[in-house]
Amino acid sequence: MLTRRKFVQTVGAGAAGALTGSWIGARGREGSLWDLAPTLDAAQAMRVIPLSSNENPLGPGKVVLDAVQRAFGPAGATPGRYSSATGELRDVLSTYLNVRPENLTLGCGSTQILRTATHVYTERTKALVGTIPTYEESAGYAAMLGRPVRAVALDRDFRMDLDKLADASRGAGMVFYCNPNNPVATYVGAQATRDFIARVHRISPETTILVDEAYFEYVTHADHATMIPVALEDPRVVVARTFSKAYGMAGLRLGYGVGHPDAIRRMSQWDSGSGTSSLNVLALHAGIAAIGQGAAFVDAERARNTAVRNFTVKWFADRGMKSTDSHTNFIFVNTGMLAKQFRDGCAAKGVRVGRDFPPFEHAWCRISLGTMDEMKRAVAVFGEVLGKAGVIAAA
Amino acid sequence: MSVTRRGLLTMFGAGGAGAWGGPVDGLALAARGLEDESAALWQGGGRRGGAPAAAGDQPPAIKLSSNENPTGPGKAVLDAIVGQFGEAGRYPFNADPGEGKLVETIAALHRVKTNNVVLGAGSQEILKNAVWAFTNPSRHLVTASPTFENATNVARRMGHPVVEFNVDSQFRIDLEAMLTAVRGAGLVFVNNPNNPTATVHGGKTIADFVERVRRISPETVILIDEAYHEYVTDPAYETAMPIALSTPNVFVARTFSKAYGMAGMRIGYAVGSADTIKPLERLRMPFSISVFGVVAAIAALGDVKHLDAERARNTEVRAFTQKALEDLGCRCTASHTNFLFANVGRAASQFRSACAAQGILVGRDFPPFEGSHARISLGTMEEMQKATAVFRDVLRPANAAGGGIE
Repeated sequence: MLTRRKFVQTVGAGAAGALTGSWIGARGREGSLWDLAPTLDAAQAMRVIPLSSNENPLGPGKVVLDAVQRAFGPAGATPGRYSSATGELRDVLSTYLNVRPENLTLGCGSTQILRTATHVYTERTKALVGTIPTYEESAGYAAMLGRPVRAVALDRDFRMDLDKLADASRGAGMVFYCNPNNPVATYVGAQATRDFIARVHRISPETTILVDEAYFEYVTHADHATMIPVALEDPRVVVARTFSKAYGMAGLRLGYGVGHPDAIRRMSQWDSGSGTSSLNVLALHAGIAAIGQGAAFVDAERARNTAVRNFTVKWFADRGMKSTDSHTNFIFVNTGMLAKQFRDGCAAKGVRVGRDFPPFEHAWCRISLGTMDEMKRAVAVFGEVLGKAGVIAAA
Repeated sequence: MSVTRRGLLTMFGAGGAGAWGGPVDGLALAARGLEDESAALWQGGGRRGGAPAAAGDQPPAIKLSSNENPTGPGKAVLDAIVGQFGEAGRYPFNADPGEGKLVETIAALHRVKTNNVVLGAGSQEILKNAVWAFTNPSRHLVTASPTFENATNVARRMGHPVVEFNVDSQFRIDLEAMLTAVRGAGLVFVNNPNNPTATVHGGKTIADFVERVRRISPETVILIDEAYHEYVTDPAYETAMPIALSTPNVFVARTFSKAYGMAGMRIGYAVGSADTIKPLERLRMPFSISVFGVVAAIAALGDVKHLDAERARNTEVRAFTQKALEDLGCRCTASHTNFLFANVGRAASQFRSACAAQGILVGRDFPPFEGSHARISLGTMEEMQKATAVFRDVLRPANAAGGGIE
């Protein structure tokens, strides 16, 4: 089925000239898409707005999709070759991040980085430590391996409780430090994070800290900085990044880890030469093009997201519903309604919001941010769902 | 090891990147885990073509080193990818079609249930997870030498014991020898056809082997890697799929990297009984196949004509190339793949360097045959016409000097 999203993006690229000159475009793909326009307009009112997976609603954009298409090669044969662009992506990233290629490992999404780090840094006697809730990939993987997982609660502002986290880190294999933290959207400032890392290493020198900066580009905090400089100096700190969020490439599966060469080597040793065998050629070229857009792209995407975030947070605040201090492309909001009830109510009206996140599923919901247009339509649905149930939101 | 399914380390380093006269030995780079860097070097600063950049006025090199399909996946697949551009920003579990649709398509193709199928980021992920799931420090891997080394390398890296058996006098996997070591083994790896020797075992031979392994060591898992399945022309050959489905502890791996022309997309799968597949599914990295990979694979499976044409194309190129080599006195093994294993009568490294100097990149060393045999992947007919001219040039002086190919 051709979705509205597909239509907009494919035609968008085509109309701008990206597809028309190509051998694929020449076969009239755009023409057939335009023919479908009336049907799509009719379907538009019914289409689902996906606000459940913290994706970038705009996708990767024209520059990246053009690069994907160029990666087919002039005769369309290049996808038949094993990709040899990993070196190029590593070079591009190392320039962009001001690190050396040996500080980088590539992954099939940051998923691969998280799993690999969890694999090499935890043991049956060396636990994984994280907050509850947080992004669950590391904990799920550790549990599968039969490695202990220690979870600590958040503080009252839904931030990572650094005291509790530090206490729990004693003797641990790895601390999973998701900052900003999914699903609660909060951010711990850079200096507080540096202090936390130093503190953990004072009380537990063998413990590795995996700083997951998946939402790094969306942060608007006054003390915002990456932990990459710390990781470069300290083999017990690894930073994970992804192209799935601000770069809009969740479907392509590309992420990376940054660290001291010793850490990168250790991870690579377990994971088949730093995961390059799992990376598809289109993702590699997409990643190169995405980074090539420079800071301007990131700044524009951050600004777009911030505006949508402010609008959405305000809508809830105006109705007495409190959100955490979001530095991501989603919000965590107290609707005063069971998350499941709210979710089902929204789904019935074509808006898909986040799943349950215990222990907050009684009243809190994670809502990913769509486009401004999507959020305007979404809040109308939220109003109907919350109003219909006659819920007075928790103060 | 990183790199490529089946061809690995072939890339021979900086040779193409501006040092045509003095290629770096790629094996040395590869051994240090730097295959990507070597690849990037010959790739020459961002070129996107399949062939490496050439220095100066040199034409692009012809890459016959990684057993790839030189024609790529075909228009149906590329169209499917472009048609999915709008889903690029969505996680594979949110995209339409999702990964489940690919599993259903594969299951329908083989007339099995979806729980008989597991996907992987290339069949490498399958092989890695099989070694991880089924071997341990006291349950060894039984494999051949030379064969596709991925499983061997993974086992060694994990510290799990490996028992290897040289191929037989006809360069076929020595199943009889392997049987002597299967008792108590965790995993037996059979690459059929076998990379790099290109030979294949018939269906009955494989069935007998499986039965005997089962008798000796019923707990041992048998992985039959059919990466080159689509290229086989031996009438005695049969896929082991039916055996895998009817026999506990047996499964078959397949890939989209060879005949389907999608090595760059990283998609493979395995089929077996649900109980055998379950541990592989459990270890699988979630959503390792991109939204483009999902639609590409579905489109590829639907384009039967393209696959038939690819098989015919390869068979023709194989016959042409084999004849050219044998006319030069280079005996080839009986190939049922998209590459040849040829006795070039000299060190593979010498042959490789001489070919590379003329823009033809052939396979790496494959011990214990590195003193005499080269693995030559098959390009297009046009590429092989050029390549065989180079082979003639490279091999003739030695022959003329009586340097000796038997």
